[in-house]
Amino acid sequence: MITKEITVVNRLGLHARAAAQLVRRASTFKSVIKLERLDANAVADAKSILSLLMLAATRGTTLKIVIEGVDEDEALSSIERLFEEGFGESN
Amino acid sequence: MSKTSYRSGLEEADWHGLAVSGGIVIGRVLRVHGGRQNIYRVTLDDSEIDKEVRRFRAAVRLSKRQLQYVKTRAEKELGKEHAYIFDAHILMLEDRKLLHEVEAYIKKEKANAEWALKVVSDRLLAIYAQIKDDYLRERGSDIEDVVQRILVALSGQRSVSNRIFENAVIVAEDLLPSIMAGLDFTHTRAIATDAGGWTSHTAIIARGLGLPAVVGLRDLYRNARTGDKIIVDANEGRVFLHASAKTNEAYITKATKLIIDKATAKETVRGRFETLDGVGIRLRTNIDLLVENEGLHVASSSGIGLYRSEFLMSQRGTLPNEEEQFQAYLKVAELAKEQPAKIRLFDIGGDKISVALSEHERNPALGLRAIRLSLTHEDILRTQIRAIFRAAQYGKIEVTLPMVTDVADVRRAKRLIEEEKQRLIASGEEIKDLRIGAMIEVPSAVFTADKIAREVDFFSLGTNDLIQYTLAVDRGNDHVYDWFRTLHPAVLKSIHYTLEVADREKIQAVVCGEMAGTPVYAVVLLGLGAREFSMSASSLNRVHKVLSKVTQSEAKEVAHKCLECETADDVEELVRQEFTARWSDLFRPESLPSPRN
Repeated sequence: MITKEITVVNRLGLHARAAAQLVRRASTFKSVIKLERLDANAVADAKSILSLLMLAATRGTTLKIVIEGVDEDEALSSIERLFEEGFGESN
Repeated sequence: MSKTSYRSGLEEADWHGLAVSGGIVIGRVLRVHGGRQNIYRVTLDDSEIDKEVRRFRAAVRLSKRQLQYVKTRAEKELGKEHAYIFDAHILMLEDRKLLHEVEAYIKKEKANAEWALKVVSDRLLAIYAQIKDDYLRERGSDIEDVVQRILVALSGQRSVSNRIFENAVIVAEDLLPSIMAGLDFTHTRAIATDAGGWTSHTAIIARGLGLPAVVGLRDLYRNARTGDKIIVDANEGRVFLHASAKTNEAYITKATKLIIDKATAKETVRGRFETLDGVGIRLRTNIDLLVENEGLHVASSSGIGLYRSEFLMSQRGTLPNEEEQFQAYLKVAELAKEQPAKIRLFDIGGDKISVALSEHERNPALGLRAIRLSLTHEDILRTQIRAIFRAAQYGKIEVTLPMVTDVADVRRAKRLIEEEKQRLIASGEEIKDLRIGAMIEVPSAVFTADKIAREVDFFSLGTNDLIQYTLAVDRGNDHVYDWFRTLHPAVLKSIHYTLEVADREKIQAVVCGEMAGTPVYAVVLLGLGAREFSMSASSLNRVHKVLSKVTQSEAKEVAHKCLECETADDVEELVRQEFTARWSDLFRPESLPSPRN
């Protein structure tokens, strides 16, 4: 299992469009991928859009990515990149 | 009780409001908002459950195919960036959180897919509603869109069955006319709303339907979820969610007792009594559905003042044939026992039935409806009148002509009625003469009431339409809701004049419509000269209560002051003052018209 903390940088936060991209990306991996909100004690399944939306992660929210599975390393770097790129959103 | 925290433990919570239509109901919450289609719970047999799950999956697949198509088009026409939202919708349709929960609910609760979907999505939406960020919270609407799409897909396929609906209690913030129009009240047991007073739309419609209703419950809607267990005590104005076993049991006892009381009640003489100063009053019952409990009320009033025969067609959208009508009118006669029963001929527009009308009417309220339709398509009137004549051998049936505009309409209808009578006699039927009356509900009929009076045996004042046509206000249209004023001086003058004519011409006049069944208005009507009232069964008691405790002379004094007012606002203000000064023991402040902004 690997974990990493990241921050939501895109302006609108983890809204429907961003969450959709995240689900698409996460679903390409076999690993179980979770996102945790450290401040609110909430966990979301990165492969479920409804679950992600319920995190209500606005810009600036810190999330902990928790990944476990055969392809966890690739999954982490791929998802990290998505967050860093701000989901392709013009900020 | 802390309303914000109670959901977690689902302990009993209760609300106090204003009971506007009595009764006790133990049922399940059906939240109604935004005029969307409403959903009822169907309990499935074990054998149907797998089929229902498959039906749900098929609807989801269909929704997904539609969204794929929309997305592809959006990508082409708007660019990839804008199509992402559809991607989010598609992902929701693939989301295990939603699908598994719905399927689990169908299996566990043996519920139909629509209901399961609504319960699950309502839970999700409730969580979204708590998100603090405005933009993210708005995403709840995406879920609603997706749910709506699945519901449409479900409705496109054959629904499992329409048989048993469990006890749906409509819970809403407020029920505007446009929303109410979309609701199917035949399967509703009670109504509970956050807003509203005695004269609100909700109250009026609930009384009209004889549905128990409590209004003014402030934040019930926010706290209730579709499927929650709810008790509505519309005698005391209380509503309970998640009632404890103890409360539940107490209410089951109360509800049972009510039913027994009704069944064994000695026939109280509500139908015929006097005001404090000895003026004789008659109360009659309006009926629509011909069900048993209506009969109990009819028995204690002075018969049926208005039977809306168009309810016979509401089920299938086609008109019943002569035999079906005959059976229905027999039932009317039976409900009325020895009392008279006024059957109003079909009051429908051409747009509602499948007569050969190729043109869609631009303005159906002013179009080919009611008596006009029956005179244009004579066979409709002839069939109906034959069925009525035949049934009239078994009771005191009378006929009311809807929406006549002048004496010519009356004469034409009477000629057709006479022809059918002769035909029946020729074929050997024994026929009694029918008393024939006219609905007075359009201004032209008011102004020619003296002429009409000489052609008919009675007037029925349809106040709902009279208000609509006098004030040129469509009461189904929210935009002009502020102009729908029951206590408008023009309305009061029309009623006053019509009642005067009836008195002078010595014919019977019955005031039907919402006004008659509303205690405040009933007193005003009494003052304007009304002696006979016809109302929904649930209103009989309260109208009896006030009319038997006022004097006609005082009511007249107030009513005549009302006639002098300039505006509806002035009348309402006057009513508030006069009623408070004279009858504060009979009218609580919230039952009087409330000031408008």
